[in-house]
Amino acid sequence: MKFIPDKDILLFKSCLVNVEYPGIESSTCYIFDRIDVDYYVDERQSCCTGLGHYYDLFDQISTTALAARNFHIAVETGHKNIAVMCATCYAILKKSAKILNQNEEARNKVNEILDDSNLEKREYTQGDMDPAQNIFHVAEIFFNKREEISSQVKVDLTGLRVATHHACHYCKVHYNDTIEGVRDPNLIDKLAEAVGVETIGWYDHKRVTCGAGFRQRFTNKEASLAVTAGKLQALKENKVDLLLHMCPNCQMQFDRYQPYIEEKLDTEFNIFHLNISQFIALAFGADPYKILGIQTHTVPIEPLLKKLNYSLESNQKVDVKAKKSIN
Amino acid sequence: MNQDSSKDISNKDLKIGVFLCRCGGNISDTVDMEKLRSSVDAEVVEEFENLCSINGRKIIRDSIIQKNLDRIVVAACSPITHEKTFQKYINPLNPYLLEMANLREQCSWVNPDVETATEKAISLVNASIEKVKYAQPLDPVLRKTTKSAAVIGGGISGISASLSLARQGIKTCLIEEQPTIGGAMVKVGKLFSPEKLAEECAMCLLNPLVNEAVEHKNIRIMTNTTLKSAERRSGNFHLLIESKPRKVIEDRCISCGKCAEVCPVEVKDSWNEDMTFRKAIYKPFAQAVPDVYTIDLEKCKNCGKCQEVCRMNAIDLDMEGEVVPMTVGSVVIATGHKTFDMAKRPEYSYGRHDDIVTQMELARIMGVNGPTQGKLLKPSNNKVPERVVMVQCVGSRDEKPGGRKYCSKVCCMVAIKHANVIKQHYPDTDVIICYTDMRTPGMYEKYFKYAQSNGVRLIRGRPGEIAEKDGIFLVRLEDTLSREPLEIEADLVVLSTAMEPSDGTINVSGLLDVGLTEELFVKEKHSKIKPVATEVDGVYVCGTAQGPKDITDSIVQANAAAAKISELINGGVELEPFVASIDQSKCNLCKKCIDICKYKAAYIQDGMLTVDPISCTGCGACIWECENNAIEIMGQTDEQIIATIDGMLKDKKPEENRIIAFLDSVGYVSADNIGINKISVPSSVRIIKIPSMNRIMPKHILHAFKMGADGIIMGEYPYNPMYSRTKEKIAGLKEELVKNNINPDRLAFYKVYIPYFRGLANKFKEFDGEITCLEKG
Amino acid sequence: MKTIKLKKESVQLVKDVLKDIKASPDLGIYKCVQCGMCTSVCPGARQTEYDPRDMIRRVLEDDETVIDDDNIWNCFSCYTCNSVCPSGNNASEINQILRQMSIDKGEGMKKIVSFAAYGDSFMELGVGSIPNNFFDVMVKDVGPGYMDLKINIEDIRADLGLGSYILPENAIDEVESILDNSGFKDRLEKIKRCK
Repeated sequence: MKFIPDKDILLFKSCLVNVEYPGIESSTCYIFDRIDVDYYVDERQSCCTGLGHYYDLFDQISTTALAARNFHIAVETGHKNIAVMCATCYAILKKSAKILNQNEEARNKVNEILDDSNLEKREYTQGDMDPAQNIFHVAEIFFNKREEISSQVKVDLTGLRVATHHACHYCKVHYNDTIEGVRDPNLIDKLAEAVGVETIGWYDHKRVTCGAGFRQRFTNKEASLAVTAGKLQALKENKVDLLLHMCPNCQMQFDRYQPYIEEKLDTEFNIFHLNISQFIALAFGADPYKILGIQTHTVPIEPLLKKLNYSLESNQKVDVKAKKSIN
Repeated sequence: MNQDSSKDISNKDLKIGVFLCRCGGNISDTVDMEKLRSSVDAEVVEEFENLCSINGRKIIRDSIIQKNLDRIVVAACSPITHEKTFQKYINPLNPYLLEMANLREQCSWVNPDVETATEKAISLVNASIEKVKYAQPLDPVLRKTTKSAAVIGGGISGISASLSLARQGIKTCLIEEQPTIGGAMVKVGKLFSPEKLAEECAMCLLNPLVNEAVEHKNIRIMTNTTLKSAERRSGNFHLLIESKPRKVIEDRCISCGKCAEVCPVEVKDSWNEDMTFRKAIYKPFAQAVPDVYTIDLEKCKNCGKCQEVCRMNAIDLDMEGEVVPMTVGSVVIATGHKTFDMAKRPEYSYGRHDDIVTQMELARIMGVNGPTQGKLLKPSNNKVPERVVMVQCVGSRDEKPGGRKYCSKVCCMVAIKHANVIKQHYPDTDVIICYTDMRTPGMYEKYFKYAQSNGVRLIRGRPGEIAEKDGIFLVRLEDTLSREPLEIEADLVVLSTAMEPSDGTINVSGLLDVGLTEELFVKEKHSKIKPVATEVDGVYVCGTAQGPKDITDSIVQANAAAAKISELINGGVELEPFVASIDQSKCNLCKKCIDICKYKAAYIQDGMLTVDPISCTGCGACIWECENNAIEIMGQTDEQIIATIDGMLKDKKPEENRIIAFLDSVGYVSADNIGINKISVPSSVRIIKIPSMNRIMPKHILHAFKMGADGIIMGEYPYNPMYSRTKEKIAGLKEELVKNNINPDRLAFYKVYIPYFRGLANKFKEFDGEITCLEKG
Repeated sequence: MKTIKLKKESVQLVKDVLKDIKASPDLGIYKCVQCGMCTSVCPGARQTEYDPRDMIRRVLEDDETVIDDDNIWNCFSCYTCNSVCPSGNNASEINQILRQMSIDKGEGMKKIVSFAAYGDSFMELGVGSIPNNFFDVMVKDVGPGYMDLKINIEDIRADLGLGSYILPENAIDEVESILDNSGFKDRLEKIKRCK
């Protein structure tokens, strides 16, 4: 079992969490505050380039140079352990750290770029960031603290039929660092278990991608959504109520497009989508609009909360304009 | 070792005879014999046309007797060629009081120039004279091995090895962890063979062997028993054997089975791969040997019902286990394999569905003594499958975490065997084998063709996953020949799982201190030179403990292991006495030498450090570790090495370069090959043979430089077990040179190989050039 | 009939792939046995004509036309192939290298020009997002609420106790400067000219 830290953590901001599901970030902070995780967010930290990188728009050197800058911010502020909310951040940062440590030519090139940008102070020294020892997914930090998580549970979620979707860029890119299974990933199943929920475990297509495929969603929409539909179909056959995510991009693919796919296929999936952070925060009794941020979801979460007899009333003063419009 | 009668005589008083061989002109055409003769300082100097002849023997022997010679130097060809001959010729002297100067392969044949060849010959003879002064009379090591053996593991390999040993009169103890012997072979039902297409009955072939083992007076079978500890002492093994209590008295049990009838505890039957149930008191299968019942200690609830019905009073619920000591001369590891843990490849859905099985489970299903009495019925519903899909390389040839990088070797044949058997009895059942490569080497190819003729279908592609939908399995793969992603529907899926080293293999190897391969199978000392031998002398391996293999190969290996033990016992092998010797007055028992020895030759016995002369190679690695200088290598003492260096460097002229080349036995033969192929090398090079570069210490190197050496070469074969250590040491030696203000470039280290002699000659030339440059610079 | 010629350097493409900055030091392309396990788990292969096994074969056979094959743009970058390849190869990584080769040749730029807006917003805000030009279609597919979400995002973040997602001025300057000096800015301009 690898060492997972609970302090000196830089909570790494994600572009899609920022503007699609900001509730993932507020939920993560909410949980961290309650399970004694010492973390820090730095406004100067740039995006990892993930989407642009996998659109093939970014070249590897540019991505790596920006990673070096972010690594320096982490080290400089004494928060050398990076925790990400997005699987693509996870894969991109690990890959960049590996290149910076292993490829001298690339490291020199990156430092040259930083020098030319008058950022000599941000130069990368071999070993500054250990891809295996310093870069984690938030779900791993949770996993390490699952006993504390269990002790904080206030809401009974056991009535739900829950399945998990593990992000490809967490499980399959740097698979030697993955915990709780690569071929049958169980990291978020174990986290659900920590809040008292037994998931359905294995199902056909469990390890299949969400279908976003970066460019595929836009340039190859049919193929992209066919993959998503296949997975939704398998979940429906398993009578799943709720699919848990660990990556905002996957969550987008399912949450934003599920109604669209339902319409195209003339079927109903009726599956709710929550990030694991949102799910744990829900179990902790967090406010759906002020913490979970369910107002940015396309598949409404309110029916799920009603099913759970989760109180919505006291929190209704929040402006849910965006939510209303989405519906 | 002999007490040395001549020890009292100081080196100066020794009478040394030097015999120069002209070798029919091979030496004398190039070396000025007259000058050589006059340069040699010895009691007797004789020259002869061919010393290795019978007449040569007379000259040497007469001189020894008439002139009372103490030590002999023969300056002739390479010792590789004739050292044994001349050791006999110096009788009545002890054979180890001889040194040879290699004037042919390493002088006349590589130095065409008479003047330099003669200079070199003089220094080679001088080196031998200096060294022989320190020679001690030694006796060869005679190995004596106790005429008994322990075979660990009672599968086909262990049974075969035991029988071969017993038939050769060797007392053998066969130790088996399970309550019965037979291993995996009794479970597989049908066997394939290289020489025939028909499958044979495993039980029918095994039973006579088992019966013979039971009856044989030289075999003692111990079931329910494991190895607990092992110590090696002077070539013998002291073992502790631990037996679990069977709780059934073997001599009384008549195997009537009444006990099992009344036993209330149901247990999954591992003999049927957990597909059926047995009781907590059980006999694994009808023909089990020994033919008695056993109580499953983990599952028995001690209710006593069995005791009530047993008319023979054979059940003793209070029976306790015992630990038995035993001393044997040799040990055979025949601890077998286990199969791949399917939890590591969850995408194949094994364990989620009853009708996804392993080949071993299919073997049980098709075994006449199995859960369906030999009928091919699906475990889920007892119906004959319409289509069986077999998946090859499950866990084998797989670099991913949990996978096995190697090919498990038997799975292609096992799949074909089962496919053939299915096709013979259920021609309507479709059989498809999904493969990456079909590996059916040698005669097995015929069996493969036979399967194709039987209508077995093959699809080339490695499945990525197996799903289930509405009771039908979907095997997903790419048909790589038609370039088509594919789903094959099946109602029975069979996984050809990898062979892995068994837990017993790993445990027993640890107890016996035997080396393992990267994959944790038992490592052979050398697959060609020392097959079935392990790194520990006297311990042998056979069967799947050594690596994946079929039954035929396992039996061959078992017989080889038995033959090797017989060699040890009956051969009375004589070994060269050039091994470590301990000065007990200096040894403080720090055990560092024990830790360092890769040959596991050193151990403590009765509070004294002891070296097993059979295991020791005299490599000298231990000397480095010994802070108290308590270790010497016979035949390669410090005095002998220093004396040889002195002789090589004697009378060096001011303008002359001399390079000392320390070569191991491989390097020395390679250097001889340079001569045999008449390739010139610089006359500066003087070769000294050393068993391992580990023997060369800073003091030797520094001494050589002090005495005028201009450069030093060290050459070692990279595939000897001590090589990794040698490499570390070279760096240390270079540092030592720097400390002493000697340019470290004056020390070179090369890998040597017997056939790569031209390369070695080039290295000599290059290094000589570099040294010349250094001298000028 | 194809001839494997005697004198030709027959593995140039593999060598180029292996020395690419993206290539992991232990990338096992030479060890490929064409078992097809990558293709058997590939979402791209199930939905399109993309075949990662065949792509690897063509690289090993030095078939440079693989770079121009439209099918390489059908990879989902899901790395499932990487996670199961029994030979230690990584088709996903090789796919990305081939795409970069195609972009360097110019042809591939046409494939990515529609994503160029991502680069602009990155340099402007220090944060990437779904390129603007896809908003219309997303709003159409997802619903009008999606546009409202975009408009109200900073308010929603404030409700959640989160600050602005846009980087401070001097941090954006650092990012822009790095992307200028890394050559990304020029690259982006070149890609845009492909329209």
